[in-house]
Order: sequence, then structure tokens, then C-alpha cells
Amino acid sequence: MNQTEQNFENLKTLLKLKQHEVPPPGYFNKFSDQVISRIRAGEAGGSQSLIERLQQDVPWLGNFLQIFETRPGLVGGLATSLCLLLVLSVIFSDHSDVAPKNLLAVSEPAIASTPSSEVASMNDAPALTPASDSSGIVASTNPVTSLQPTATLFGQASASPLFQPAGFMPAGQ
Amino acid sequence: MTMSMSEPDATSDSNAPAEPQEVDLVNQARKGDLIAYDELVKRYQQRIYATIYHMTANHEDANDLAQDSFIKAFQALKSFKGGSSFYTWLYRIAVNKTINFLKQRKHKQHFSLNDLDFQAENNPDLVALISDKTPLREVGLTELQKKLNEALLKLSEPHRMVVVLHDVQGQSHEEIAEIMDCNIGTVRSRLFYARQQLQGYLTEYAKPA
Repeated sequence: MNQTEQNFENLKTLLKLKQHEVPPPGYFNKFSDQVISRIRAGEAGGSQSLIERLQQDVPWLGNFLQIFETRPGLVGGLATSLCLLLVLSVIFSDHSDVAPKNLLAVSEPAIASTPSSEVASMNDAPALTPASDSSGIVASTNPVTSLQPTATLFGQASASPLFQPAGFMPAGQ
Repeated sequence: MTMSMSEPDATSDSNAPAEPQEVDLVNQARKGDLIAYDELVKRYQQRIYATIYHMTANHEDANDLAQDSFIKAFQALKSFKGGSSFYTWLYRIAVNKTINFLKQRKHKQHFSLNDLDFQAENNPDLVALISDKTPLREVGLTELQKKLNEALLKLSEPHRMVVVLHDVQGQSHEEIAEIMDCNIGTVRSRLFYARQQLQGYLTEYAKPA
């Protein structure tokens, strides 16, 4: 180790030059005043950033967020991948809407093969849309009205667990 | 002021009133006493500034970072548990702030070097380096200063920090390990590697003895 230290002797002498680099005269006379006035102006804590506060309270999370602060490329990469994920999810959600249509398309021949009278009776059945609801109950997105019994394919109110048939039967009978 | 930046203010006047203990100042500052904190700032401003300056080779950056470090330390005083000395804890804040700053400005390095004090010209070791023993006789101290700073900036931040703290600031391996939150072995190996690198960059001036 001593031999190694001797090898670096000239370098250490050279590095001593750094000790002779001094700031402008009087620099340190004003330094502490500037720090204190900045503290007063910020009222200690008001000017802390979110990351700085996190570093005090939750050090590991603060350090994790600081990685992003020091590496802007990483933030860009993460943002790009998030956008990609969003686009992909939009595309796949569109596909999920299309899927039932495809299923209908597959079942079309089966419908076509049913007797025409049966198809006609199906066409005569009341539609589920509010506009043609013969029972006068209008379906809506309103949560109160949506609790109302809706017309079914057979023109009867659906048996919902929310609606139980009520009857009055005197105790004596 | 001609005092070396690596040395703290030393008052040798025996009649002067005893300086308040660091622990007392820290406790007072924790309660919001800015006069006590001002005293702490005055105690460590030179060393903190010098460390940051040697890392950045830029006076303006060092000024901003040193001020920010002291402000952050004041804001975080409540979380200071006293496990280490206030000085080590403050140093750690300054070192982390500086390393983060340097990572951000990686490709935008520019010098704003401080002037050399007149003592540099009278330092016999330095004079010897630029005397007839040196192959480049025409080189002056200012030129040497520039080359030294350029070489230092080529080192990675942790390696540069170890060289600055040990060879420029005169901190011990143990103190550096505590400040940089690593073990002593890491400090020694970083120091050895950094010196080797520097010697390679400064072959004309720092040949092995």
C-alpha cells in the first residue's frame, strides 16, 4: 500500500492546487445571510417540492421518484409505454364490441333456416326499446325508473328479485 | 480571504466566549431559531461550498447548490435523529444534491473556476511541478488548474467525490464512507481507481514517483 501511495505522491501534490482555488473576496460574509433570508422567504417547508417531502416521510418512494427526476429518458419511455397501453386497450375494447356482431353473423344461417311463420311471430313480439314499449313503462338510465319492471319478450314483467309480488291475506281466512 | 477552502474557520482567541456546542445549536435550530441556524451555516459554509465547487468546477452552481443544501437541511432538521453528527448529515445532503445535479447536467458542463490565491505561487510543491522538472516548462499555474479540473470532470461522480473528499478536503476513509453511505472498502477501491484514472489523464504532471 505504501508503494501505491508513493506512486500517487505527485498526483496528490497536484490535487493540492485545488485548495488554492478561492471564491471572490467577501463571498462568505454574505453567504449565511442569503441562506437565512431564503429560509425566511420560503418559511421553511412551504417551498419544499413533493419529492423532497416524500424523501423525508417515505424515503424509498422519494428515492424511486428521484430516479425519474435524474433520468428524463426513463420518464419519456414510461410515458410512451403508457400511451401505447392506452391505445391498445382502446383497440381491444373496440374489438370486444365487434365480437357479438360476428357471432350474430355466424348464427344468421340458423335464423334463416327457421320457418317463416316463426320469424313473423318473432317480429310481432313487442320490442325492448322504450319507444315501442306497449306497457307504457319507459326504460331509462335513471336509477329510480330502471328499478321498474321492464317488458320482456313475452309482454310480461320480468321476475326481478327486487320486486316481490305482494298480497294481503287476513289472518282469519 | 486567503484561507484554504478545505479548512474551517479557526478562532484561536482564548479570551473569546466559548462557542456553543453543535448539539445545542441543532436543538435550537430545530425549534425554528434562525440565529442558531445562522451560526451552523457559518461553521460549515466553507467546507460545504468547497466540496460542491470541486465537484462542479463552477462557482455559480456551487453557490446555488450550497445554499439549497443548507435550506434543505433546515427544512429536514425535524427528521434528523442524531445518529450521526450534524456535520456528516449536512454533508450527506450536499453530496446527494450535487450528484443528482451533475447527473442532470451531464452533457452541459462548463467551467467557472475561482481564482487561485497568492499562496499557490509560493507553495514549493506546486512550484516544483511547474519548474524545470516538468517537461512543459511554459505551463503556468492557471493552465495547470484548468487541466486538473478537466481531468477531474472526466471521472464518474462517485469517484470524483471520493478524490475531492479525501485528497482535496482531507477527510478520512471512515468519514467518507459515512457521508457516501457505503463501506470503507468501497471508498478505498474508488479512491485507488480514481487516482489511477487521474494519473492517466495527467501523465505530464503526475508521473509515478
